[in-house]
Amino acid sequence: MDEDLLIFAIDLAQRLGADYAEARLHRTKELGCLLRNGASEPAVIQDAYGIGIRVICSGSLSFSATNDISKKNIESMVENAIKRAKASLPLLKNKVNLSEEKSINADWKAEEKKNIENVGFEDLFSLIKDIDNLIKNGKKDVSFPNRLLSSSTLLEEKIYINTNGTKIKSRVPRVSFSSYITASYQGKITTITIPSGYSQLAGSGGWEVVERLKIFEYVEKEAENLSLAIKSEQNPPKEILDVIVGPQVSGIIAHESAGHPGEADRILGREAAQAGESYLKPNDLGIKIGSEEAYVSDDPTIPHSNGFYLYDDEGVFARKRKLIEAGVIREFLHNRATAYEFNTSSNGSSRASSYDREPIVRMANTFVEPGDYSLDELFEDVNLGVYIKSFMEWNIDDKRLNQRYVGLEAYLIEKGEIKGMVKNPVLEITTPKLWNSVDARGKDIDFVGATCGKGDPMQGIPVWTGGPNMRLRSIRLGAR
Amino acid sequence: MEINELADLTLKEALKLGATDVSVICTKTNENLIRFSNNSITVNKNINNLELFLYLAKDKKRIIGTTSNPNIKGIKEFTSNLVKACEALSPSAEYTPLPKIKVQYSSHGIYDEKLVEDGTNLIEFVKEAINAALEAGADRVSGSIMTSKENLVILTSGDVNGQDKKTKILLNVRAFSKEASGQGLSCAARLKDLKPNEAGKEAGEYAKASINPKPWEEGIYDLITLPTVTADIIQHVGSFSSAFAVDSGLSFLADKIGQKVSVDYFTLRDYGVIEGGFGNRRFDDEGFPTRENIIIEKGVLKSYLHNCTTARKFNTSSTGNAGIIDPHPWNLVVDPGSMTLEDMIKEVKKGIMVTNNWYTRFQSLRLGEYSTLPRDATFLIENGVIKYPVRGLRISDSLPRQLANIVAISKERKWIEWWEVSIPTLAPSMLIKDVIITKALG
Repeated sequence: MDEDLLIFAIDLAQRLGADYAEARLHRTKELGCLLRNGASEPAVIQDAYGIGIRVICSGSLSFSATNDISKKNIESMVENAIKRAKASLPLLKNKVNLSEEKSINADWKAEEKKNIENVGFEDLFSLIKDIDNLIKNGKKDVSFPNRLLSSSTLLEEKIYINTNGTKIKSRVPRVSFSSYITASYQGKITTITIPSGYSQLAGSGGWEVVERLKIFEYVEKEAENLSLAIKSEQNPPKEILDVIVGPQVSGIIAHESAGHPGEADRILGREAAQAGESYLKPNDLGIKIGSEEAYVSDDPTIPHSNGFYLYDDEGVFARKRKLIEAGVIREFLHNRATAYEFNTSSNGSSRASSYDREPIVRMANTFVEPGDYSLDELFEDVNLGVYIKSFMEWNIDDKRLNQRYVGLEAYLIEKGEIKGMVKNPVLEITTPKLWNSVDARGKDIDFVGATCGKGDPMQGIPVWTGGPNMRLRSIRLGAR
Repeated sequence: MEINELADLTLKEALKLGATDVSVICTKTNENLIRFSNNSITVNKNINNLELFLYLAKDKKRIIGTTSNPNIKGIKEFTSNLVKACEALSPSAEYTPLPKIKVQYSSHGIYDEKLVEDGTNLIEFVKEAINAALEAGADRVSGSIMTSKENLVILTSGDVNGQDKKTKILLNVRAFSKEASGQGLSCAARLKDLKPNEAGKEAGEYAKASINPKPWEEGIYDLITLPTVTADIIQHVGSFSSAFAVDSGLSFLADKIGQKVSVDYFTLRDYGVIEGGFGNRRFDDEGFPTRENIIIEKGVLKSYLHNCTTARKFNTSSTGNAGIIDPHPWNLVVDPGSMTLEDMIKEVKKGIMVTNNWYTRFQSLRLGEYSTLPRDATFLIENGVIKYPVRGLRISDSLPRQLANIVAISKERKWIEWWEVSIPTLAPSMLIKDVIITKALG
């Protein structure tokens, strides 16, 4: 990666009248394998490399990107970016300003024990073939007539500089596994994913991620658990009861109803026409949204996480963000532009998925903080309840108030004990009701990988969602 | 180098290295995008890319590569690496030779030179849309306008030599009036068909009309889906008609060819090229000619969408919808019905009219069970009259049930593509009976 090109770009932008400029050379190289019922689909290599440039002129922001990184093309791109920024001025009512941030000079890498560049298709296919062999004969009388397994590696490398004197070089390798499985039992048929909820087993690092995430053990166990789910015919009780959600469910809840609404660009309305806004208003820091037991954080610095980074794509140092603490909204996710509007500093939440995407406010690894209960203790004083361990269907409105999670593996609890399975319990609930219902959290926390979508054009960005088992009191469940 | 030269070099290089099947597609795109919120431009973007896609097979081993750095040295290295990686794979039982068709494709001609390179003139359209929304009663307006210009060439080892180009312009306006919102879209292949004033006005009027929502009860309602909502439902039906999805157990349309899946007056087609469409292509990724395919005709499932691999497996011929791995629709079109929207509303005793939706997710792809959230203006209908706006609904149903429960289709249709609907779709309004509508009671 030629750093001189970046210097050339931002120098030129300044000469042409930009008040601020930044440039990013960004490569994403992905190797992907797909195995369908034991047979390999074409292997895939996707190599994307190019430059993204942002400039601000008199408060007007423009972004240009190209994969033609010749000096001549970059010159015309910068000229075009300046022209665009100036052209927007007649319709610019809210100027873009950036928070003051310390200039940084850093070169950082995610930990990598087994170099991902030494991982080939043979390794990727071998992984999913071995997994397929583990599950292809079905589990517990349930057959899996269709299995679509996917494995991939992703290497992301960047150099970023801006006119505030920041220069950052980074390297993050990632490994990921996901699957779609058709389960069939006595004429009943359905589709499940492992992990559930269309998520992934994923993390940053080299090929050691496969061992770290215990992918084989995980898939075999989940296949068995989910086989039980398809057999279930019993609807959840209709009366008010307690619900314990498993880590996958508490994780998606944290992401959807605490992470997204805490994105300051949504709160300011910048995403209104696409990903939507937020139930939170700019002056809502400090309001109570949940019980004393509601704790949600987002932390990009978790080693080996899927959303791992140390500096964001505006060159700001990344740190943990406490979104909800004891039910109180404590912090929003900021980039430099939103931080300026809120008269604060950026907390390093700005990310771009590729060279041709602008950096915007994103989550990294969003999770419900663990508490101090064992699962048995969570069950202990539940008279009537449902344990929703995993899910498939979910969605939430664009203000993040009205959400739904439909259980996959779910159990009836009576007098503190599991009494068989229930079929597709539906937790359809408002955000305040949900967080106010939390009365206890488990001490163990689990994460799964996901690709979070936002922006226009769309950007899918790697994240973790996670949490402990979490108990909600006095809930009404629906049935599918 | 020009894109045809890059494609030619890649094809020759791959064949020289022993590949038996090669498909090269080189694409040059130029996108301009302006985003706006709170009546103000937030960012003005330009993205210029040149991408090379290469599929090759050797000894029944198959690989796909894309690179965004195509120059002579880069291409030679990329192709050589891809061939080497291919050689290390295992042969696949699914391998199907690329079609051998000596054909030269030229562009379909649905292309507008007026969609200029730098996109600075888009600001006038943004202004027009914002003003129209404000005049119609909005307090604040957000949205985006995007132009895209794409030139591509294809060369295959099967003697296919083609070029194509297309343009599109998409305007999405979301207007807010107090806590209410409305959306207006204008999507076109040519600049002359863009209607910023109409889109802004529609968004503003819907926002104003949906102020002060009233309580409603969850239950079974007849549902009127306006074109944006219909398009979302239809794009999923289109994706479920991929033979790859069917063969992978990921489609509710599996094992239903020849069966009734909808009502007599519902016909769904996919067009490779259609006037007004902006997903147009003369050829697919295997070089096979695209065409009109009837997916559902008068309620009967007629065909899945195929590439050569799935076609061989299903003992049929390609429908010109490759995707090397997964076939996909180009432009989905629902045949028009005979009713106006007003007639439809009059038919409804107890119903809901939904103007926009988002976040469609499936409990089971095989069963088509799903839910989606109405967003923006949504109205309760009673005894043939729109009564009042409602909020906080969820459509919680299943696609097979809904397809079977279509009661009416409007004669007016609209082209839709936006953030939530990625497949260009010519969609009518539809009336669907007995749809389950739920709310957050948890």
